[in-house]
Amino acid sequence: MWGHAGRQSEREVLQHLVKTFNTNQDSVEIELTLLPEGSYNSQVQAAALAGDLPHILEFDGPYMYNYVWQGHLLPLDSLISQSVLKNVIPSVLKQGTYREKLYTLGMFDAGLALYGRRSRLEAVGARIPHSPANAWTIEEFDKILKDLADQDPDGQVLDLKMNYRGEWFTFAFMPPLISGGADVINRDSFQSATGSLNSPEAVKVMTYFQSWIHDEKRVDMNVDDYAFVGGRVALSWVGHWEYPRYHQAWGEDLVLIPLPDFEHGSKTGQGSWSWGMTRKCPYPQMAARFIEFLLEDSSIVAMTDANGAVPATYSALEASRQYQKGSPLRLFARQLTEGYAVPRPRTPAYPVITTVFQQAFLDISHGAKIQQVLNRATQEINLDIKDNQGYPMVNHAY
Amino acid sequence: MHIKKILNIRQTQSESLGGWLMSLPAVLGLALFMAFPFLLAIGLSFTNLRMGSPLPTRFIGFEAYQRVLTDPSFLRALMNNGLFALIVVPLQTVLALGLALFLNQKFKGIMFFRTLFFMPVVFPLSLVSVVWILMYAPGADGMINAFLQFISFGQISPQDFLHNPYLALPAIMLCSIWQGVGFQMVILLAGLQSIPDVLYEAAEIDRANQWQKFVHVTLPQLRNPLIFTALVTTILAFRVFDQVEIMTQGGPNGASTTVMYETVQTIFNRQQVGQSSAMTVIFFILVLVITLVQRSAAKQEREIE
Repeated sequence: MWGHAGRQSEREVLQHLVKTFNTNQDSVEIELTLLPEGSYNSQVQAAALAGDLPHILEFDGPYMYNYVWQGHLLPLDSLISQSVLKNVIPSVLKQGTYREKLYTLGMFDAGLALYGRRSRLEAVGARIPHSPANAWTIEEFDKILKDLADQDPDGQVLDLKMNYRGEWFTFAFMPPLISGGADVINRDSFQSATGSLNSPEAVKVMTYFQSWIHDEKRVDMNVDDYAFVGGRVALSWVGHWEYPRYHQAWGEDLVLIPLPDFEHGSKTGQGSWSWGMTRKCPYPQMAARFIEFLLEDSSIVAMTDANGAVPATYSALEASRQYQKGSPLRLFARQLTEGYAVPRPRTPAYPVITTVFQQAFLDISHGAKIQQVLNRATQEINLDIKDNQGYPMVNHAY
Repeated sequence: MHIKKILNIRQTQSESLGGWLMSLPAVLGLALFMAFPFLLAIGLSFTNLRMGSPLPTRFIGFEAYQRVLTDPSFLRALMNNGLFALIVVPLQTVLALGLALFLNQKFKGIMFFRTLFFMPVVFPLSLVSVVWILMYAPGADGMINAFLQFISFGQISPQDFLHNPYLALPAIMLCSIWQGVGFQMVILLAGLQSIPDVLYEAAEIDRANQWQKFVHVTLPQLRNPLIFTALVTTILAFRVFDQVEIMTQGGPNGASTTVMYETVQTIFNRQQVGQSSAMTVIFFILVLVITLVQRSAAKQEREIE
C-alpha cells in the first residue's frame, strides 16, 4: 500500500492506523510505503506504466479519473458497506465517483475560505458574513478591498497565496469562475471548454482578479508567506491548513469568511487525498475492510486532529472538536455538506486542464489580455480532448 | 625490414585493439545513455504517444513538429534562449576575464578572494534561485530594490523584478551570470598562469605599456581557454531550466520561458511524450548547428596564426 508522506504528525497517525489494523486481524498484513508528496503523482504514473502499482493506493483528488481511464482502479461500490457510505459527506463521494462508479474514499476533505482580521474589517465598517448563504457579493467585496486599501500604508490588503505553486491556482480560483457562471470545461459532456472558459462570464470574473492583482495592486505577492501573519494584509484567501498558524497569530481577531459571491452563489473548493484499490489487489474484500477502518470516527478524528483537514464523515464531524457545531472551523464543514463546494472536473483530461488553467491565471495576473488568454487556453484544452478522441471509455482486458 | 614492418603493424593493431577495449565502457555508456535515448526520441517524435494513455499510439508523421514550430510559446522560448545566449555569453566572458586578471595578482588574501568568487559555482542552482527570489523581493524592503534606491538617491522606485515582463529575463540572466562566472574565471585563471613570463619580459623590452601587453600577449595566449569557455557558456545558456522553473515558471506571459522549460512542461504536465520528443530533437539540431558554427569560426582563427 502506498500513501503520501505528509506532515510528520500525519505520517505517524497513518502508520499507527496500519499497525492497529494489522494487529486486529490476522488474515492479511498491510505494508505501508510512504512517497514524498511533491513527486507523488509522477511516481504513481511511472509505476502504472511499469505495471508496478501497489494493491491499495492514495490519490491526490482529481488525478484519480486519469487512472480509472487507464484501467488501473477497481470500483468500490459493492465492496464498501452501505452504512459506511451513508455516513460519508457528499463532497467526498462526488470527488470519488467517475462515470457513476465510486473509486476512491477519503478520510478528510479540504476547506477553502477567506481568513480576515475582525478589527480591520470593522474599522472600514464591513459586514462580516458567517454563512455561505449570505456571503459578500462581488461588488461588496471589491468595495471592501478598496476601503481597506485606502487605510493601508502600501495599499496591499489581500493575500491570494500567489507564492504557492501549481495545483493551488485551480483549487482556489476555479470556484469563483463557477460562482460567476463560467467553468473550466463544459461539464455536461466534458468534450469542450468553448463557452465555459472563454465565456463573457469567465472574462468578467478574471477581470476582477486582474484588477486586484495587476491594476490596483491590492494583492500582496507574499514572497515570504508571511503576509497575513505579519499583519501586512487584512484578508487571506487560503485553505484549512493555515488555521493553526493564523489562529496563533491573531487569536480572537481571526474570522473565517466564505468566498465572495460572483453572482451565482458563493462557491468553494474541495478535494483532497483519498484511498482506492487497484485491479492488482488480490483481496479486495480485505482492502475494503481496511478502507472502512480508515473511515471509522476514531481513525478520522486522529488524522484530522493531526493535519487540520475537514473530517469526511458526518459522525466524525460531530466528534471533532474543531468542526462540530459552534466550533471555529464549522464553516468549512457547512460548505462541504451544504453543496457550496465544487469538485474539480471529473475527467481524465484533468491534468491538462489544470496545467492550462494555472498558466492562464498567471498570465492574467501579469496583465495579459483576458479574452485572448482564455481563448487560447480553451483551444489548448479542446485540442487535448480531440487528441485523445474525447477520452472514450476503453474496455480493459483484465 | 619486411619483418620489422609486420611487427610494427601487429603492434599498432594490438594497440588499437587495446584502445578500443579501454574505451568500451565509455562508448557503451554513451550508446546506452545518449545515443539510444536520442534515437528513441527521434522515433517517438513521429508518434502521438501520451503518457499512460490506454488508446493505441499512432504514427502521425511531422504533425508534432508542425505543432511545435507554430506554437507561440515554443517560438517565444527559442527567442528567449537566443537573447539569453547573446547577452550572457559575451558579458559573462568579459566579466570572468576581468575577475581572472584581478585574481592573478599577488597580494595577501588572494586565496580567500578566489574561493569567494568560485563559491557560487559549487552551490546547487536550485538553492541559488531561491536565495535570489528573496533578493529580488518586490517592495522597498527587497535587497536589490533597497540597493538600487540607495545608489540612485531614491530615483529608482521599487520593482517587482520577477513579475515584470521586461525585467524577468534580465533578472534571471543576472542570477545566472553571478552563478556561472566563477567557473569561467577559474579556467581563464589557469590559462593566465600558463602564459610564460618571457613573453611579458620581451614585451617590456619592446617598451609595451600595460594595455599593449594585454592586447598583444595576454589575449592571443588566452585564445583557447576563451573559445572553450564561450562554447560551454553558449551551450549552458541554451539549457537554462532550474532558474526559470523556480524563479518565474516561464512568466510573466512567457517573458522568461525557455526551450527546456517548455519541453519539461509538455511531457510532465501535459503528458505529451511525442510532442516533447519533437521539441528535444529541434533543440538538439539547434545546439549542434551553433556549436559547429562556433567551432569552425575558432578553427579559422587558428589557421591565421
